[in-house]
Amino acid sequence: MSRLVKKSPSVCTDLPLDNADICNKLRLMRELLGSCYGPTGRLKQIHNNIGGRVVTTSSSSVLLPAIASSEPFVNLIRTSILHHVRRFGDCGLFAAIFCLSLVEQAKQSGLRAKAVIRSNEHLASLCTDYLKQGGCGCKVKLDLCSGRDLVALARSVVSSKPACVLTEPECVHISRLAVRAFLLTVPCDTPGSVSLGQTVRVSVEGLPVTHSAVVPGLLVDTAEDVYLSQPCSLPHPLVLFSASLAGDLSELGDGLIEVHPRVDSDSQVLSQLLELGNQVVRDGVKVFVCQKVIHPVLQLYLTSHGVTVVERLGVTLMEPLIQLTGAQPVATLHSAVQPTAYGQVGGLSVRRFGSKTMLHLQACGESAICTIILCHRNETMLNELKVTCQKAEHVLRLALREPSALRGGGCTETHLAAYVRRQSKSEVPALGRGCSQTEYLRAAEAFCRSLESVARSLEHDGGTSTIDPTHAHRWTRPSDVATERRGVGAGCCGCGSLDGRETWTSAEFPPADLLRDASVQPGVLDSFTAKLNALQVAVETANLALDVRYVIRDVN
Amino acid sequence: MSAKLTNFLLSAVQIMLGSAVLNSRQHIGLQRVSALAETVRSSVGPNKKYKFIQDDTSGESVLVCSCFRIIESLEPTCAVGQLVLETVQAHHKVYRSGSGCLLLLAGAWSRAALDCLHRGISVTNIISFMSEGMDICLDVCKESTVLFEDLAVTGRRTAAPRGVEKTFTEAPQGSRHMQRATKSDDMTPNMSVRRKTKLSRHFCETTLHLDEPDVPGVSHAAEMLSHGCEGSMKLVVEAFQLQSKKNQELRNPMFDISKVMTCVLPGLPEGRACVLHGCVVLLSHEQVSVAHQIKERRLKVAFINGDLTHTYRHLGFKKPPGVQPVSERSVPSGSSKEDEWLEKVVEVFLSLEVNLILTTGLACESLIQTCCRHRILLVERVNSPALRLIANSSGALPVTYPTQLSEHCVGTGVQIFIWTDLSSYGRKPAAAVNISTGGGVGLVTAVITSCVDGKLQALEDQFWACAHRLHHALKDRVLLPGAGATEMLCIHHLQKAAERHSQADADRAQETKTGTAAGLHRGHVLQLMADGLIDYITTVTVNAGRFSAVEARTVVSRQLQNFHRDQIMAGKFSQLALEAEGDASADKTPAARIYDNLSVKQEAWRKALDLVFLVLQTDAEVITGTGRKGEDNLMLL
Repeated sequence: MSRLVKKSPSVCTDLPLDNADICNKLRLMRELLGSCYGPTGRLKQIHNNIGGRVVTTSSSSVLLPAIASSEPFVNLIRTSILHHVRRFGDCGLFAAIFCLSLVEQAKQSGLRAKAVIRSNEHLASLCTDYLKQGGCGCKVKLDLCSGRDLVALARSVVSSKPACVLTEPECVHISRLAVRAFLLTVPCDTPGSVSLGQTVRVSVEGLPVTHSAVVPGLLVDTAEDVYLSQPCSLPHPLVLFSASLAGDLSELGDGLIEVHPRVDSDSQVLSQLLELGNQVVRDGVKVFVCQKVIHPVLQLYLTSHGVTVVERLGVTLMEPLIQLTGAQPVATLHSAVQPTAYGQVGGLSVRRFGSKTMLHLQACGESAICTIILCHRNETMLNELKVTCQKAEHVLRLALREPSALRGGGCTETHLAAYVRRQSKSEVPALGRGCSQTEYLRAAEAFCRSLESVARSLEHDGGTSTIDPTHAHRWTRPSDVATERRGVGAGCCGCGSLDGRETWTSAEFPPADLLRDASVQPGVLDSFTAKLNALQVAVETANLALDVRYVIRDVN
Repeated sequence: MSAKLTNFLLSAVQIMLGSAVLNSRQHIGLQRVSALAETVRSSVGPNKKYKFIQDDTSGESVLVCSCFRIIESLEPTCAVGQLVLETVQAHHKVYRSGSGCLLLLAGAWSRAALDCLHRGISVTNIISFMSEGMDICLDVCKESTVLFEDLAVTGRRTAAPRGVEKTFTEAPQGSRHMQRATKSDDMTPNMSVRRKTKLSRHFCETTLHLDEPDVPGVSHAAEMLSHGCEGSMKLVVEAFQLQSKKNQELRNPMFDISKVMTCVLPGLPEGRACVLHGCVVLLSHEQVSVAHQIKERRLKVAFINGDLTHTYRHLGFKKPPGVQPVSERSVPSGSSKEDEWLEKVVEVFLSLEVNLILTTGLACESLIQTCCRHRILLVERVNSPALRLIANSSGALPVTYPTQLSEHCVGTGVQIFIWTDLSSYGRKPAAAVNISTGGGVGLVTAVITSCVDGKLQALEDQFWACAHRLHHALKDRVLLPGAGATEMLCIHHLQKAAERHSQADADRAQETKTGTAAGLHRGHVLQLMADGLIDYITTVTVNAGRFSAVEARTVVSRQLQNFHRDQIMAGKFSQLALEAEGDASADKTPAARIYDNLSVKQEAWRKALDLVFLVLQTDAEVITGTGRKGEDNLMLL
């Protein structure tokens, strides 16, 4: 007899933003993420409550998945930011801080939610239109022909992650590597639609950061005593298996098999494998790669016939290897390998990095696959470095689509805020019955304050942030006056394109093109595409959050 | 229960920016690093005392000696503790020494960072000034290196009799060495004079090695790297010499530690420790009788990667879950599958006429017995790199299954020697047997012996520490003056830089009246870093056992006051920790100068600072999963 338990009724929370508990949680999340923002941001140690591995990080892509909340309302915001991070790779913290402070400001202003939502929509489109304009004061054209701009872009990403613990020369080295890896993934002369290649990241613990390197082609883990086939005739034909060649019956699934006791299924599979090996050797294959395990008997057979064997390639390296060699992965061992399935390898050598022995596979001709070897002194910093490099690669790719960048260091935010203030004062749009003129002006003020609060979040040492009246850039005066900014010279604005010697004039807006000589490039650049999307995501998410009336939870 | 609820707690290492001003001045993370570092304070330096670490819950205890083993046995559970352990483990894996230095400096510099926070210096500035300090220290290291050959040659020259030296100078390559030697003599006038009188023990050793031109004075240089483990270093030098006999590279002698194995043997006095070619394995009674029959002959040998049991399958092989045997009649129980397999395997062995089988895994008892009856020696649990090396040198191919064996997989020319009969009872090993290929591959094994079981681990650690020190010395080709000399020089430079900054700032302040605090802060931070190093030196001096903490500090500060750059070259300055140590052993061994490894020291310092930076910048701990209730300082998301 089954026991019946009465279903408990769902819990409904009315007006979640009026709930003190939810508001506290939102504020906590904003402070938590805000304290991670920027190159001087604070780190967080993440671990589970049963003593799991400790991760030290300040990047949104690691932090956001970890801070799942018990409150669905908080998770709503978290997941929408997370989706932005997964899609664009950068500006996750910006989006989160901006969104949360929009919600907070809207609440503080006491305006009707509908009016705020209407205004925010309008203001967001005002911002995006301005950013897309040619004469926008916070946009910088990227010169893809010169490496300098790309390195500056990569460097802004790398230097914004303090958990990597990089010295200045190390930071430059890693940024250059990121750019070089990115350039290697751009195919040279492919007619028609161009598809970018792939960068594979290999990490080596214990070596100095400056030993990190980029190599074209693929590096795959291999046994210490790997057999290298003789470089008699290049290119080497290669065969790639995605099926397990361990000699077991794993392909059959979970069903029950009835076997006669005298039937030795193992040896039958093995003979099948050897037949396969025989065919491959006959076809002149020199490199034999399997995603999974290869039976030792087959391995011995192949090496004794002069074939280099790589097993346990792993699923992540399958796609790059297919791109590199042009091989078709073979998914079964029960039929002969089609001649079209073979790929080709241009070069084969063994390379050693620290304790790792790796096989270096090079493409036959031009290929857009490269491997970046990242070295660092300990695992925590290495993990963060891996995440950072991935982020840098993402940002560089986005730059290819839209070759512009935004001024970093908070200058874009302050500049945008100044622009919005001015625009909202000069012309008030007709937003219909939902929003009056005063409501719009107050909402615009809240919007600007939120933008400025994001810029202020970059400061973590108690310094004061100020905005100059001419260009509306962000300036910091440190609390202990001792601060000398690293990299950019003393007394620069956030993005590093202005120094404090200028005298400020009245507020002409939009300001005249402030940097006529191209030599004064900003030192800190943000990804244009990622930030634009982050802005839209933040506003949309905030609007949705403001619009939520009830939270209904099934507690069964 | 509904969907998985994941709570998020925020502990109060430091909560948030608003309330951080007060909290940040007592950074809990830094305090934890400092507290952890304190646990190893008494074990830093060459004079180590054994410690018992007892587990209260299980009642088990371990005898530990090195700083690494202490921190490893303590198993710190807090997040910061795990970070510390991770850093130390990463360092230990590569260098096998210097963990104490890393930990103690991490502790000292954590306190320095705390002090800076107290003074209101911002985190960003602490980091940039400390990095600057580290650059100063690393520059000092780079400048004060001594060429390894110089040391080796100086050692040999002073120890070698005049006649030998003369023939040496006539040789063309010798003259180059001589120039170097005289050059270094110019720098160290006192040292060579002293050594002539004192290094009588090395006299015979070095003259002996003059016959082997491939190891010029390495044993002498190794002595200076032993850091109080003379016994272990002697073994290491033996291993090096055994290895380099075959290795003809005279210019750049290398010590390949990947071809060095250790074998620990309890129950024998420590004096029995030695180094042998090939590898050493322990055998049971029946096996010993077989070994006696086949010893000192050139044997045919097979190598198996894996277990020798009928159920063993290679790694990655999955047994299909749902296979069911069906048959009309029951299978005759007489010949089970195991017997069939056994028969087949023995047949393979006999047809190939192998006398020796080495396997990395285990073998089933009945197979061992059967092999013994056929005078085949089956050795289990052979270290897999060793197995690979022996296989390579004997021209064999290791296989996974015995049925794979064929004529071309079998190697020849391997010999076994009975090293010692342990003549114990029961299931204990009865003899240690040396499996050798004649030294062609350079595989050597150090047999480490001790009557005290608990001490074996420490002795093995010491051996590896010494081996890695010699390896890195030969790899770096340079050494640093040890016994605190390098640290002293660093302190001196840091203090000078600190003074310079404070002074410059004072001047500027007088001129403009609004001088920034930058110089002052920078001076503070550099001074505090220097204090960390002073703490390290005094700790090492105190541990050496002659001075009390106060006396040690006085001695260090007096040394610093009377500091002249040339002193370090004259060899006076470095004797600080040595003086204390020489006391105990003065009557026997003369006080040789002590040298440190460049790479080990640099990496240890840098890792210590990395650790401090990581912890310093961390302001919160995020604990995922359902939280424990009732902790006031936690915030829930």
